[in-house]
Amino acid sequence: MKSAPSTATADSLSNTQLVLRLLRLTWLFRSGCVKVMILQIGLLVFGLSGLSLTGLGIDYLRSVLDPASPRPHWPLSLPPPASWPPVAGLSVIAAGILLLAGIRAILNYKYSVLFSILLQQQVVVHLRSIVFKKLQSLSFRFFDDNASGSIINRVTGDVQSTRLFIDGVIMQGLIMLLSLGVYLIYMISLNAKLTLLCLSTTPLLWLMTSIFANRLRPAYKQNRTLVDNMIRWLSETVQGIHVVKGFAREPELTRRFADASREVRDQKQWIVAQTSFFSPLIAFITQINIVILLAYGGYLVIRGELPLGAGLVVFAGLLQQFSGQVANIANLANSFQESLAAARRVFDILDAPVEIESRSDAISLPAIRGAVTFQNAWFAYNPDTWVLQDVSFDVKPGQRVAIVGTAGSGKSTLISLVPRFYDPQKGCIRIDGHDLKNVNVNDLRRSVGIVFQESFLFSNTVAENIAFGKPGATMEEIRRAAKIACADEFIRRLRNGYETLLYEGGADLSGGQRQRLAIARALLLDPAILMMDDPTAAVDPQTEHEILEAMESAMRGRTTFIVAQRASTLQKADLVLVLDHGRILQAGTHDALMAVRGPYQRMVSLQAADKESLQALSAPPTVPPTSTHAKGGL
Amino acid sequence: MPPHASPSRIITRVQQQPRDEVDQRPLDLALLRRLLGYLKPYRPMRNWLTFLVIIRAIQLPLLAWSTGAVINGPISRGDLHGTILGALGFGLLALLTQVTLCYRQRLGLLIGERVMHDIRMQLFQHILSMPVAFFGRMKLGRIISRMATDVDAVRAGVQDVLFVGCVQGGQSLVSAVLMWWIDWRLFLVVMLMAPIVWWLNHLFQSRISHASRALQESFSRITATLAESVNGIRVTQGFARESVNADLFQELALDHSRFNVAFARASGLFLPLLEFSSQVVSAILIFAGGILVLRDSDPVPIGTLIQFLFLSGIFFSGVQGLGNLYNNAMTAMAGAERVFRLLDMPPDWSDPADARVLPPISGHIECLHLTFGYDPAKPILHDIHVSIHPGQTIALVGHTASGKTTLVNLIAKFYLPSAGDIRIDGIPIRSIASESLHSQMAIIHQQNFLFTGSIADNIRLGRPGASDEAVRDAARRLDCLDILESLPEGLETMVGERGTGISMGQRQLVCFVRALLADPRILILDEATSSIDTVTEVRIQKALSELFKGRTCLVIAHRLSTVRNADLVLVMDRGRIIESGNHLELLARRGTYSNLYRQFVRLGLGGTRPQM
Repeated sequence: MKSAPSTATADSLSNTQLVLRLLRLTWLFRSGCVKVMILQIGLLVFGLSGLSLTGLGIDYLRSVLDPASPRPHWPLSLPPPASWPPVAGLSVIAAGILLLAGIRAILNYKYSVLFSILLQQQVVVHLRSIVFKKLQSLSFRFFDDNASGSIINRVTGDVQSTRLFIDGVIMQGLIMLLSLGVYLIYMISLNAKLTLLCLSTTPLLWLMTSIFANRLRPAYKQNRTLVDNMIRWLSETVQGIHVVKGFAREPELTRRFADASREVRDQKQWIVAQTSFFSPLIAFITQINIVILLAYGGYLVIRGELPLGAGLVVFAGLLQQFSGQVANIANLANSFQESLAAARRVFDILDAPVEIESRSDAISLPAIRGAVTFQNAWFAYNPDTWVLQDVSFDVKPGQRVAIVGTAGSGKSTLISLVPRFYDPQKGCIRIDGHDLKNVNVNDLRRSVGIVFQESFLFSNTVAENIAFGKPGATMEEIRRAAKIACADEFIRRLRNGYETLLYEGGADLSGGQRQRLAIARALLLDPAILMMDDPTAAVDPQTEHEILEAMESAMRGRTTFIVAQRASTLQKADLVLVLDHGRILQAGTHDALMAVRGPYQRMVSLQAADKESLQALSAPPTVPPTSTHAKGGL
Repeated sequence: MPPHASPSRIITRVQQQPRDEVDQRPLDLALLRRLLGYLKPYRPMRNWLTFLVIIRAIQLPLLAWSTGAVINGPISRGDLHGTILGALGFGLLALLTQVTLCYRQRLGLLIGERVMHDIRMQLFQHILSMPVAFFGRMKLGRIISRMATDVDAVRAGVQDVLFVGCVQGGQSLVSAVLMWWIDWRLFLVVMLMAPIVWWLNHLFQSRISHASRALQESFSRITATLAESVNGIRVTQGFARESVNADLFQELALDHSRFNVAFARASGLFLPLLEFSSQVVSAILIFAGGILVLRDSDPVPIGTLIQFLFLSGIFFSGVQGLGNLYNNAMTAMAGAERVFRLLDMPPDWSDPADARVLPPISGHIECLHLTFGYDPAKPILHDIHVSIHPGQTIALVGHTASGKTTLVNLIAKFYLPSAGDIRIDGIPIRSIASESLHSQMAIIHQQNFLFTGSIADNIRLGRPGASDEAVRDAARRLDCLDILESLPEGLETMVGERGTGISMGQRQLVCFVRALLADPRILILDEATSSIDTVTEVRIQKALSELFKGRTCLVIAHRLSTVRNADLVLVMDRGRIIESGNHLELLARRGTYSNLYRQFVRLGLGGTRPQM
């Protein structure tokens, strides 16, 4: 059911376009990037100096011990005064190493903090904010088409992976180029031939690491899918435990879980086999370098062409760093792939058309009277299945419209067209005579109060939930709304009254309580139009009675759309619409519809008291009611 | 100004769970022994692994030593032949080391994966054996985190801590012995640094793990806010609050980034310090070693110094590794402890060993002075005494929390009575094998659950192995085949968690068909028709009575139309049956029931049943 519009934008972005956009993003943060680069250069320089000082120390010792051995090369050709005892020379070198290491440690710390501030505090916050902002304004269609997990992941994981383009690709690439260049120049300056020989294995190393990464990446991805699948079985078993136990299906679910778990294990074993082959192989390749270094470098030292410390030992250190950077190339390529894929998903949201948007010349409607007209409206979620077909009706301000119909007949859809959650494909809907498409969406929605079938509450305080539509509402307003919705009393009895935090969106409240909060939330805005999508579906008759009673006063003076089942509600409606497969089958007042034989009459009669019941109710009581039972008597 | 005191407004307040779950635990021998017990089925593998671990702990320092030996020996002597031989020797040793690594890694990881699978299965079976009450107490998130995070911590414990830890400890030990053997004085100098490196490591590891915990907590605020923003998008847009929420989220994202930076500060200080301390080791070696080398009496050969530069590297990487592992080990211990605690948790009750397998029953249910409370001190049902005859339809009526659902859950043996008894066909429910009861019973709830799979798969859950025709036939008998077939892919439409993609009413129909296919003797409907709209209800009303026919049915319904035809109506209030009788009798009695009924029909509104 994935619909085309959301994915089309992303597919049309070529890799080049994507990279260009990412580069533009990087450019936004250029000053931070430059600072980080400067620190990195400092690190490189001080690191190399430290390494060469260690080499110098060894050579100095050798030359002191054995005057015949080659003279050490002092930095800037400044040997210590000949009068110094060897210990003094050594101390200077050791202190130099320590000093450099200290500077390096400080730079390194600065570097990682600065980098983190740049990435997390600037890039990621920037990306998350714009993606979230865009998300909030996308039409419901987007949310229907994409699983909530995937949407959440775009703001969390994908944003981080997009960020990777800046640090993992651009910065890492520059750092790598720079350091490989410097290492190479240093090594060549020590001995060009040795450098070439030692680096002969580099292409092999690079090849191996990329093969390894390319093989494992999809495998790890698959592993995550398999693990998710296994956890899904567990979570469904727990969530559906009543079904599992009720039908005695434990053995089957155990088998399914065992299969899923075994699948994870077996796939992981393949990964294990790969890793345990490749990683020692790659380590061995870098060790071949050392074999070459020992053999040929040793030969050079013997021939006196290379100093032992500043030459061989330093070379060994350089070689190690160099191999490390080469192995990073594979990471760089991965980061590039990963960041492109993630950026595609992020841009996908940023580019998604906001289907429902106020036009620039939208009419501002601060005070809506509440006249609603449907003119031959057609609507479909998917191109070829019409959910609403040719719906026309006319509601005057303050009128009450009840909508009835079978499951999937389009009742909720019809209701969601009024606040413009979707636009009809054909026909139009007018409010106070204006086509909805010409009206400012925020004005429109602020004048429409909505109570959903499954009311969603946020994990926040009761007061914040009621004031959701009007964040600055006073306690007075909140309480008034709650009172009308018959919620005030139970709210006061909660742990902290109006400041009680709702657990997991009110999971600790009863269905009726949640629904009453939702009604209070809708009433706070004092809307001209009230929409109620079967709000009493999940409450018992007593609670339902209370809600309906309270809704009476709330509905007064407002245009109300109510999806309802109950005859009492239907009877008071000015207009009853009977929907079937998206068409209006019957329309009229309750009395008019009851007068004709049809689906409406059949439905209402089911709830009506039959003759026998009426007789039983009107006859004198057979058993004298006890005092407790009599209280509620009419 | 809003008078309610909320210093900074936010979209979602994440409730901090009381921290009864520690992240780390000191090493515990009993726990470790129990963990090692899981390796028993893989004894040959385990023994090979132990052998390889020892070999590798020796090979690593040997490799470093041989590098130094070649430089000191043939290279400083100017022996070209010896140099090349030495280099080749090094190569050979390196190859051997890598081969060892290959097998050590493979065996270690394989054992870890197998143990993990075993523990997962053990956990799953244990969880399934728990009575329903357990699932009310234990949050789903907890169970998942046992299965995913904690089992993985145990794997890490087996793989990293046990085997990698042994290698690292071993390599430090062997290189220490080598250094001692080469020159004990210089070794003592190196050893001076060891506690400092270890302490630094330890200090920062715990700092980093604190920062990372705070980061995770902050991240959970981000994801919770996101999840609610996505799930509540209809509310947000319906109340035109997009831009307010966007601003609030930006603040939250900025706040979260502070934790990221704090984490970077902690780890950013640690790595350079480690590096710095290894530089300090080099500096000390060169300085102190240099003095020893230059000493007139009994000087240390310079080759020794070079050897130490290599060997101390191996030594300290082992020491650092142990420091890291110590932290991992404590995390693994905490994970293992939680897994074992769950595994050791006995079910509140289980079927007695000699539980009777029910023969095909007629469906006679007796509640004998039944009393029950989830918390025994607070009974929810008081002295319920009622007999339900085979084939009867019983309606349970009453306000929310009057005990209706609790009563049917007891009859389904999801819970055991605190006092009194329930008899099914005369057999006390405690002595019945639960599975044999459940296989003759079907329960349809208001919150109906569909498993991931097709609609047909879900229906077939009632009777695994039922043919497609049997599935369609069941739907046809409930007169809803056309409704299900009108879904995008008909009966093959896939439904996800919680059956997304189809409406609540349609979900409910699937559950009805599932129950019909199971052909139970006892049928329980817990508010099952409430999310089916009245028009559909009219349609399936007849079919429902078909479904009820010949079975004992317990129906909890707030739509009194459903109650109208019941053989017996039980009106419940605060855990007691306050009225019982059939619909007309109860109406005539003018008690609670007749009041409920009045509210329902709004007396006089519907008038008499129209002629049809």
